[in-house]
Amino acid sequence: MNVIEIDHLTYSYPGAEQPTLKDVTLNIEKGDFLAVVGNNGCGKSTFCKTLNGLIPQFITGDFEGSVTACGLDTKTTDVGSLARKVGYVYQDFENQIIRPTVLDDVSYACLNYAMPDYRERGMKALEQCGLTGKQDDFIWQLSGGQAHLLALAGAVSLQPEVLILDEPIAQLDPMHADRIYGVLKELNETYGKTIIVIEHHTEYIADFCKHVMLMKDGQIQWKLPVKEALQRVDELQECNIFPPQVTIAARRMQKSGQLPADAVLPTTVEEGKNVFVKKSSAPEKNPPTVTHSEQLAAQLKDVSVSYRSVKGGPHTVFSGLNLDIHKGDKIALIGSNGAGKSTLMKLLVGLLKPSSGDVLLGGKSIRSVKPEALSRQVSMVYQNPEDMFIKDSIGADISYAMEVRHVAECKERTEELLKRFNLTQLAHRDGRLLSGGQMRRASLAIGIALNPGILLLDEPTANLDIATRKEIMRTLEDIKGITETVIIATHDMQLVCEWADRIVVLCGGKVVGDGSRDEIFGNKEIVDTVGIRPPEIFTMGQTLDTKALCYTIDDFLAEFEGRTKRS
Amino acid sequence: MKTANKLSESILDKLSIDFLRNQVLKNAYGNNDTVIAATDPRILLVWYLFFGIVPWFVNDLTFLLGCFILVAVTTRLARVAGLVLVLFGIGVFSQTGYLLVVTLLFGGDASAIAPLLVLTLKVATVSLASVTVFSGMDPDKLANGLMWFGCPERLSFSISYAYRMLPLLMEEFQNVLLSYRLRGNPPEHDKLLGKIKYLIYQIKVIVHSFYPLMLNTAKRSRTTVEVLEIKGYRYAAVNKEVKKIKLSSLKVTNNDLLFLSLSFLWVAVTILISTLI
Repeated sequence: MNVIEIDHLTYSYPGAEQPTLKDVTLNIEKGDFLAVVGNNGCGKSTFCKTLNGLIPQFITGDFEGSVTACGLDTKTTDVGSLARKVGYVYQDFENQIIRPTVLDDVSYACLNYAMPDYRERGMKALEQCGLTGKQDDFIWQLSGGQAHLLALAGAVSLQPEVLILDEPIAQLDPMHADRIYGVLKELNETYGKTIIVIEHHTEYIADFCKHVMLMKDGQIQWKLPVKEALQRVDELQECNIFPPQVTIAARRMQKSGQLPADAVLPTTVEEGKNVFVKKSSAPEKNPPTVTHSEQLAAQLKDVSVSYRSVKGGPHTVFSGLNLDIHKGDKIALIGSNGAGKSTLMKLLVGLLKPSSGDVLLGGKSIRSVKPEALSRQVSMVYQNPEDMFIKDSIGADISYAMEVRHVAECKERTEELLKRFNLTQLAHRDGRLLSGGQMRRASLAIGIALNPGILLLDEPTANLDIATRKEIMRTLEDIKGITETVIIATHDMQLVCEWADRIVVLCGGKVVGDGSRDEIFGNKEIVDTVGIRPPEIFTMGQTLDTKALCYTIDDFLAEFEGRTKRS
Repeated sequence: MKTANKLSESILDKLSIDFLRNQVLKNAYGNNDTVIAATDPRILLVWYLFFGIVPWFVNDLTFLLGCFILVAVTTRLARVAGLVLVLFGIGVFSQTGYLLVVTLLFGGDASAIAPLLVLTLKVATVSLASVTVFSGMDPDKLANGLMWFGCPERLSFSISYAYRMLPLLMEEFQNVLLSYRLRGNPPEHDKLLGKIKYLIYQIKVIVHSFYPLMLNTAKRSRTTVEVLEIKGYRYAAVNKEVKKIKLSSLKVTNNDLLFLSLSFLWVAVTILISTLI
């Protein structure tokens, strides 16, 4: 049985010259777990919004063809009735939460549709989404992962047959991401819901989804079972979708003749076990060790910090934290959501004063120094690039800090920065209206405008699709040469492995690990207690040989080969 | 000097946006386990109708004093956030309190003080009654109570939604201000002239902050608007059934009646005393 039937759908936004969706015909079966993949701007979100009638009823435009969801025509059925059949969770899910307390929010839709048992329905949805016990909490007490589950529960409360999620794990650490997908799997298998996700993380697609649909320029290229879809490595990469690293590694072996051309490529670590084998003559590697410059760039001494909370006593983030940052360090700061990464950065730029202990920059305490006075020494780029834009064009934003300090070569430097970050064409545009990658580049340019000695970056690759992420990673590589000391707080382990010289692990307000990537990722105890998820290719290597430490596909290919070749 | 410095520093620290946000949240939701918060909103609104209006028309000092003591006690019971009380203090003083002080300073006698005291008491009583009701109750209860008295659904939604958005707006505002702090270059402010310049600079920054603040918030609310549509907000606004379900959560308990009768008793006693005097 099909829950979604789309017949020759063509749609263009009001005022747009080109249609966003072109002649889409598709059926989605009941009980499917479908991943929608495609380049940025290929119409994925638009496609999903046609399924619950938001298009064409709330967002008008040119709509041809027909969409039937659970037997209801989306053009003629009102959005309310459709919402009870098709639930939607937005990418910016925090804006989806409307009410102040958890139970209120989750049962809000049920109340609005006049269901007398709205509270019970809300409670049931909380149970289905693993939030039991949180019903009386306020929404600002929830962690990012819990807030996402709440947004999901709000959609589930109406017990729709179809659930659509737009990039559910983009902002989450791996533990929370696993939890979201665990809940989705349960909803799919136990409660028989049809689930549609827009997803870039092909590792999750391989583990959880049943079908994959590739979109390109508003058209559906194909819809295939997951195994088959992920075999099409070259085609996916052309659309800037990166299949699981295990699959890419196997494909590269296939190309170089180490695997037969008709071999089925592995998509998960489990399948990889039967495909890869260690080379008999693996090259010796010289593990890089962390070399510190003698000079300290910054130092945290016995720092304690606590926040005021709405109810009850203050919440302690750090108590007695010690950390030395040497000149020239390229540090990745990792730890789960809420481990204190952002707090540490705020301490270093002077926005937050420790309740006890001291923060030193270049040997001097910054306790009595105003943040404005530090901006030539240390600069910070927020997680959310929008917050960096205080002027009406990015050109003005980049030059602002230099202008107010009357820097002589302000104009030249702005132009140079615009050029370096490939923004010259966009100099007069408002930062908020740029694409995700452009915004991020602009925020980096703003961050290094004053040429600070220390640069702090908060999650520079969050919320980006893989292609843009690669581009930002290149930019970060570039920054290594410009700024002396760089600290990145991130969940992105590929970035950590490929970029950082030194990794600092925060957990429960303490530094629990500090060293090179071999020292951190090779240490099982740290990896397990903090819940670090190394890149898939690293796990693959470890599964085959516990001594192997491969961080990139190239590392892996140097140490392993296809099994079939040897037999 | 050192203590004075410390004091000014701590006051500045207290007035950060973060602190304001915290106080707003605390005020709205941080005290939902108090006697006042547990009271039925309709009872409280009726109670407020009395203490918000009657004091204006009565000039009897004893009665006003009695009312003032009562609302002071209820304010204490509501555990109102400190900031609100400070604002209350400033408000009352700027209205009439300063007149009282000035009169005393320039040798005014009791005949001049009495009417001023009466006026101050009136303003204070009415303000404290408002503080009790509007910040002691959580916004949703208040909204439901207003709806019961026939206020349109849109008003009650606006109240609870404003409270939902306020922390977001403040967070957004804080972020923009932080950007200015990190990148801006304020004038030196050790001397008096510098201090004035600094003040002007800060006002300028706050004004400039509105442009990014509004755009960022508008960008965020795009999703919220769509979600309201999906979650049936428009549908509920015209549906009588929904209103009934919402209001069915309101219930007058013995405690509410006790609260009313105690207040009534207290007022009766003060009137009795005032006639006896």
